[in-house]
Amino acid sequence: MVVAEGKMFLMAMRKALAVAAGKAVMWASRRAGLGAGSNLPGKVAMSILPDLPRRLASSIPGGCVLVSGTNGKTTTANLLAHLFSMEGRRPVHNRVGANLLTGITAAMVEDFDLTGRPRGDLGLFEVDEATLPRAVEMLSPRLVIVTNLYRDQLDRYGELETLASRMRRALAGLDRDSFLLLNADDPLVSTLGEESPARLLYFGLEDRALEGGDLRHAADSKYCRRCGSRLEFRQVYFSHMGDYRCPTCGAGRPSPQISALRVELRGASGSRVLLSLMGEELEVLSPLPGLYNVHNLLAAAGAARLLGVDPGRIPSGIEGYRTVFGRGETFSIGGKRLFLVLSKNPTGFNEVIRTVREEGDSLLLLLALNDRIADGRDVSWIWDVDFEDLAPAARLVVATGTRAEDMALRMKYAGLEPGSILVEGDLKRALLRAVELAGQGETVYALTTYTATLEVRRILSRLGVADEIWRSGKERRG
Amino acid sequence: MSTNRIHPEEGPVPTLRILHLYPDLMNIYGDRGNIISLVRRCRWRGIPVKVDGLRPGEDVDFSSYDLFFVGGGQDREQILVCEDLRSRGDELRRAVEGGAALLSICGGYQLLGREFITWKGDVLPGVGLFDVRTEGGEDRYIGNVVIESLLEGVKGSLVGFENHSGRTWLGPEATPLGRVVRGHGNNGQDGTEGCVYKGAVGTYLHGSLLPKNPHLADWLILKALRRRFQVEGLKTLDDDLEWDAHRAAVEKTLGEGKLRSRMASLLRG
Repeated sequence: MVVAEGKMFLMAMRKALAVAAGKAVMWASRRAGLGAGSNLPGKVAMSILPDLPRRLASSIPGGCVLVSGTNGKTTTANLLAHLFSMEGRRPVHNRVGANLLTGITAAMVEDFDLTGRPRGDLGLFEVDEATLPRAVEMLSPRLVIVTNLYRDQLDRYGELETLASRMRRALAGLDRDSFLLLNADDPLVSTLGEESPARLLYFGLEDRALEGGDLRHAADSKYCRRCGSRLEFRQVYFSHMGDYRCPTCGAGRPSPQISALRVELRGASGSRVLLSLMGEELEVLSPLPGLYNVHNLLAAAGAARLLGVDPGRIPSGIEGYRTVFGRGETFSIGGKRLFLVLSKNPTGFNEVIRTVREEGDSLLLLLALNDRIADGRDVSWIWDVDFEDLAPAARLVVATGTRAEDMALRMKYAGLEPGSILVEGDLKRALLRAVELAGQGETVYALTTYTATLEVRRILSRLGVADEIWRSGKERRG
Repeated sequence: MSTNRIHPEEGPVPTLRILHLYPDLMNIYGDRGNIISLVRRCRWRGIPVKVDGLRPGEDVDFSSYDLFFVGGGQDREQILVCEDLRSRGDELRRAVEGGAALLSICGGYQLLGREFITWKGDVLPGVGLFDVRTEGGEDRYIGNVVIESLLEGVKGSLVGFENHSGRTWLGPEATPLGRVVRGHGNNGQDGTEGCVYKGAVGTYLHGSLLPKNPHLADWLILKALRRRFQVEGLKTLDDDLEWDAHRAAVEKTLGEGKLRSRMASLLRG
């Protein structure tokens, strides 16, 4: 008895020590101007107590929500956090976007006091796809959302099928009374719940007037997972998102409980969506541009509903949402405008191109291609992006980043005259050059890979144009 | 390069015909860039070009094509096309013997070899166009690559990115595409990269390969044209951006190597 109490006391001490150490590292890192310190505090805290994330997560009263998938994690999680906070409740959230286990732990360390009590009612974490298995095991979530799966950084994640199998097995470990919210329009994601005892819910687009064209080359999941036959698509929205059915075994798109019945896209300024939330219809004016963001909106609205947010407040909540860092932010610089949007893989890029094209046909573009580890060191993927659709809308392209020359070459082969392509490897100089070349009131469209987006954001904050990233609420991953 | 005309003044304009094998299955990371490069470089010279895609099971006459392209695929896709490709082996070999050009990357290259031995020890027979064998390896070779071309008519370096676990070994009749300067190449051991047989090239380099290696793109175009037409050479193009990208990739890759060896020597003390 005494021994057991002694052990418990020691464990509590160790937990407090781990949290304190994490907090100290976080404070020091910010003091030293190293930014948000988004992973290191978690790393340090976990080195003191390896299962700290499990211990902390289990004491959050409302349990944990995980958001995973290739694209849209950050937007979905941030929009959900916004809707949740509207009710006067507070999430413990890795809003700075560090989505590995160390980053999630760091977010908890920040929001727990030294006695191990959380300053929030709900854990809300975006999770790297490859980290999902460990996160499910450690955090025992009550709700998991998967947005979509595309091929992304094969050098980091391995092949899509393997990744999906790992996720499927992990989700099989969910509780029977937890929820799994999946994208019905993604043939691979919609099968992720097959082995899971969790309650399955789906979100998807139900507007029959939407048409994105045929299955493009960037589409990844065109074959039936069960029998290998080529799926038949009655409708394709973008990439491999659509209404599909297997002609051989009959497996098809599940019908969604959370859907967009009508979508009207309004370029960079957002969209108007008629939502159906478990049978309840809501008209929403969304500030998020592009069809891909309608999926994120559906996921966040559906999750908010499951978490008990009053559906009547969801439309105004979405309207009042401010886009997170680098996901379509607009800045003013000396009478010019800069539209910054993260574009990190073929599907994301193609959707951004679709959105930007609605802005005009003589655009000034800043295309920043980095090949750092967090971007993926292999830049071949730019050849899968439909820059052919962007070239006719471009007046001038400033190509920049660690792979500026590759970007320039891609635009040449997309049909842009070499005379309309400017190569400037240094991102800051390229940014200033593009802004200088813009006319008064004109917008520079900056489409940037992951680390380039962070860099642009940093440059803008030094210029006094943007907030520090960790203050504005979003930062690095790796 | 000479600036001779491609075709006689009075003759019909030849259309270069390209067959892209399994475009929706074997399309890993940017292989499409190779087709984009071939098509643009023909059109910039006024050579009409037509690209057809081939799906497994489709009936197509290989003898009417001048250039074939097979990209890489994920494991599952590679297994799906393996059998179909083997059933067309004779036709494909005949086409190459008859002067057609061919480019195969990564998985496509492996399937065109004699056999593939999986990591578990299963032997999958290949097309046998290249005298090479591939064994599945445990870890992957991933990273930027620079090789020195050994291909006649393609001088200097070739650049790309490799990502493969297969180790490919050249047989006695095989000629490598190049010698590895930085990276792993065929197997990480013997310093060879890729394989060439007549107008057919197999390689692990994607990146995409051809846009940044315009000399290799033109070599393939010229081979393909010569299958049916008398052509002395190709019109020279303004390749400034291409060579800038090529040089930047070479410098970057060699720089990485230098940094690594410097760090290694630091660690050794």
